[in-house]
Amino acid sequence: MRLKKGPPDFVLFITTLTLLGIGLIMVFSSSAVTANLWYDDAYHFFKRQLIWALIGITAMIVIMKINYFRLKDFAVPLMIITVICLILVQTPLGVETKGSSRWLNIGPLGRLAPSEMAKLAVVMFMAKALDYNLENIKSFKRGVLPFLLMLAFIGGLIYIQPDLGTTFAVAATVIFLLFAAGAKLSHLGLIVLSGLGALAAAIAVAPYRLARFIAFLKPWEDPSDKGYQTIQSFYALGSGGLFGMGLGRSRQKFFYLPEPHTDFIFAILGEELGFIGAFVVIALFLLFAWRGFKIAINAPDTFGNLLAAGITIMIVLQAAINIGVVSGMLPVTGITLPFVSYGGSSLLFSMAGVGLLLNISRYSTYR
Amino acid sequence: MQTTGLLLKKRIVTLFFLFALGFFLLGGRVFWVQFVKGAEYSEKAIQNRMRDVPVESKRGIIYDRNGQELAISVSADSVYAIPIEIRASGREKEIACGLAEVLEMDENKLLERLTKTTSFEWVKRQIEFEQSKKIREMDLPGIGLTEESRRYYPKGTLASHVLGISGIDNTGLEGIDYYYNDLVGGIKGRIIIEHDAVNRPIPEATHKYIPPVDGADLMLTIDESIQYITERELDKVFQERQAKQAAAIVMDPQTGEILALACRPNFNPNNYNDYPASNRHNYAINDSYEPGSTMKITTAAMAMEEKVVNEESKFFCPGYIKVGAETIGCPDRKAHGSQTFAQIVENSCNVGFVELGLELGLEKYYKYLRAFGFGKMTGIDLPGEASGILVPRNSAQQIDLATMAMGQANAVTPIQLITAVSAVANDGILMKPHLVKQVADKNGKVIKKNEPTVVREIISKETAKELCLILEGEVVNGTGKNAYIEGYRAAGKTGTAQKPSPTGGYLPNEYVASFIGFAPANDPKLACLVVVDAPQGYPYYGGWVAAPAFREIIKDSLRYLELPMEQTEDSEELVEEQKNKQVLVPDLVNLPLAEAITTVKNRGLEPRVSGTGDIVWQQTPKPQTKLDRGSEVIIHLSPFEKGEEGSEITVPDLQGKSMKEVVKILADLGLHLLPEGYGLAYEQSPEAGKIVTSGSTIKVRFQAIGE
Repeated sequence: MRLKKGPPDFVLFITTLTLLGIGLIMVFSSSAVTANLWYDDAYHFFKRQLIWALIGITAMIVIMKINYFRLKDFAVPLMIITVICLILVQTPLGVETKGSSRWLNIGPLGRLAPSEMAKLAVVMFMAKALDYNLENIKSFKRGVLPFLLMLAFIGGLIYIQPDLGTTFAVAATVIFLLFAAGAKLSHLGLIVLSGLGALAAAIAVAPYRLARFIAFLKPWEDPSDKGYQTIQSFYALGSGGLFGMGLGRSRQKFFYLPEPHTDFIFAILGEELGFIGAFVVIALFLLFAWRGFKIAINAPDTFGNLLAAGITIMIVLQAAINIGVVSGMLPVTGITLPFVSYGGSSLLFSMAGVGLLLNISRYSTYR
Repeated sequence: MQTTGLLLKKRIVTLFFLFALGFFLLGGRVFWVQFVKGAEYSEKAIQNRMRDVPVESKRGIIYDRNGQELAISVSADSVYAIPIEIRASGREKEIACGLAEVLEMDENKLLERLTKTTSFEWVKRQIEFEQSKKIREMDLPGIGLTEESRRYYPKGTLASHVLGISGIDNTGLEGIDYYYNDLVGGIKGRIIIEHDAVNRPIPEATHKYIPPVDGADLMLTIDESIQYITERELDKVFQERQAKQAAAIVMDPQTGEILALACRPNFNPNNYNDYPASNRHNYAINDSYEPGSTMKITTAAMAMEEKVVNEESKFFCPGYIKVGAETIGCPDRKAHGSQTFAQIVENSCNVGFVELGLELGLEKYYKYLRAFGFGKMTGIDLPGEASGILVPRNSAQQIDLATMAMGQANAVTPIQLITAVSAVANDGILMKPHLVKQVADKNGKVIKKNEPTVVREIISKETAKELCLILEGEVVNGTGKNAYIEGYRAAGKTGTAQKPSPTGGYLPNEYVASFIGFAPANDPKLACLVVVDAPQGYPYYGGWVAAPAFREIIKDSLRYLELPMEQTEDSEELVEEQKNKQVLVPDLVNLPLAEAITTVKNRGLEPRVSGTGDIVWQQTPKPQTKLDRGSEVIIHLSPFEKGEEGSEITVPDLQGKSMKEVVKILADLGLHLLPEGYGLAYEQSPEAGKIVTSGSTIKVRFQAIGE
């Protein structure tokens, strides 16, 4: 199959860059106070995010320009590297913070989170594997089970970091992708049920998780501990109102709202830019979903369909979870907002994902 | 393949709509939180971020009645730390070391506090000016200074029990400073500033300043000079007699104004933590005690008012009186014989007063007791006043009435007693005691004035006047001779009360010695009560322990008030009579015998030599005692000088003898007495019949039988 290359999807490209731009501004605004106190440099986080953004854009463009038909070849090596990195995290090479080993030290640029790499690796690997094996998708044993085993392995490695949130996000991505690939709904329902069972088991092992898990439903019952983040997030969003307090004028970022530049950046955005700002971001992700799934549908082959769908699912799903957490609809998970939250690895692999989407869009069958 | 491809595309479209639906839901939720609940969350968020910084109001000044400052407010800097900034600076050690040196604190403990995970720590509050200057110059990160107001009592220990104490946060904790805290304390101001979660102001923060209202000034009824005189005399007796505690109150009987109030042991309110907390106990207000004979004034007043007694009444005292199955005696069972009413007061004759009490009966006695204000708080403006404890009316028996009449059984507070006796001095009208004359705001506008308040009239003016004269006679002729003031007419009554034992009954050798009186007797300006709890040494009688202090306080206070010396004929007569009748005992100790005898004779006294020797070893009574002309002075000669040491003496039987007799017998034999208790001898060691060497000490316990 040889298709003529077209231009990449311009709307997706602009959408991504807009989100990235909003992200950079918000990272600066939300982190300046903390950065100034901890590092005596208000630009500490902003500078790092800016560098990662440039790396991410470079990666996006490079990946966009790779020969589409060679993309498949990266799936397995990326998966191998991911697994190695995930294992290395558990060795003394891993950087431990707040009781979790989530990062590998990579010199001057700081740290790499292999779990972010894993999201992309899993999507690429599944796209390739499903493409080979699509006729068996209706069979649980041959079509679905192998991916569940893969998920168990990769998810397990992420889970022991421990990072329940990312494990969940990866699992959800896998299930959605299996759905897209045409897996039987009964199989998927079974998987979801057993997933819930696993969740129940995880809670049974450590009952404190249940309290944390359901705290978002009744945050006011423990406003200084379990409900603290949710409540401070409400305060931030509520203070924003319709038009916001103005860029840079957040009050909740003054140590009230934890993780103001990472997990809860959307709350600060809502406080400073109001519902208008929040709405724009949600709309941009909806736009992203539209363009992403459009690219998936118009991809030149099954691999392209699945890869584009997987990447779109991966990014949009994280955005939905993050906004759900910030607005108190979901339990606090630790999932960041793609393109917007501070975090180099997340940004790099999200941009790489967009690079892949743009690459696929150039071979779109529907012009 | 085509079907799978189609399914795949359908599924992807489904996914898109699924996510689109999700984003619509999220958008709705965000709209709900931001817009619908926005106002509520926004309000809560502001409250959550606002920090009240209290701005201390300055406490009002406390003046004495003449405008002398007794308590003022001074500004002092306080040092605080923001631990998170200190940790961020990385100079923890250096900061702790520097501060510890200036503030004289322990460096390690300080370091621990400076690096705590709190957002705010007081390092040290209200430091000296020099220290704050040094800290300002050091300019340490995370260390700040803020101005706080602090109570300062410029006169130190003076009137400490009246003024009370104020805490580090500028609130009154005890005394007047506590009682009037609402007025003196003022109203704290506030600066409300929006703060970050580690308590530092946010740039461009919302803030509001509510200025403090400074406290009002108090003018006390206390007169600094009379307070000073009172404390000086109280110190003297408290230290000389190694007493447990002591109190003195000076009151204007006509207004109820307290001119002086002092307690011992004392403390300095500026650094009250350096003293045991018990020193701050206000014995004059917060404690009740069985007053003993001073209470007989009220019994006398009741009897006179109820006409149970008149000038002609005659009493016979055989030394004891039987009340039911019990026997009540006069001190040492001394029989006072036939006496007039005035004489039973002068002699403080228990028998006479028991008779008066029984005559009055329980009904009337309780009526007057309550009219005098006993068993109820006087309402003086100091915290923690005790109400005293009366024998419950329902369970009171004749024996209770008998002991009440002589001042035991009921417990009263010193302030109750002086208020009651002041009523006698004030033509029978009971005034409410108070310590604050007026309260004025910072502009000098009087916002509260305590006018003299009449509580009730207890006895008629005539009865009161008459009783005053009798009490004057008590000072001139009776047990209160030591309270006699040359040039002024003082009236009063001694008291030597037994102390109830916690195990029931009375303690064998602990007493409360007191004197209550007023002057001038014809127009009382000052009433004064001196109470000494458990004085050490002999004599422990109120007339010996408390009366001299009363005399000095009243004498110097009247002179300070520039009251003219008494020139009335009445008084002159009394003084003249006194001069003729009474002489002071000279100091004879260590004089050669012949010289001692001449000295005694020259004073118009009768010497009686006991023991053998050339040099006077001891004398009875003590020097400066007032004695009637012609009284006997016993001169004890040292038994050691004669070399008689070692000669064998048979210990006599002292059982049932009075202390005076015992002193005489033992001195004659060349033995020393170690007395314990008072009353009649009932136990001795060694026992009678034992052989001891000359110069040995005989320990004798005396059993008390009332005063």
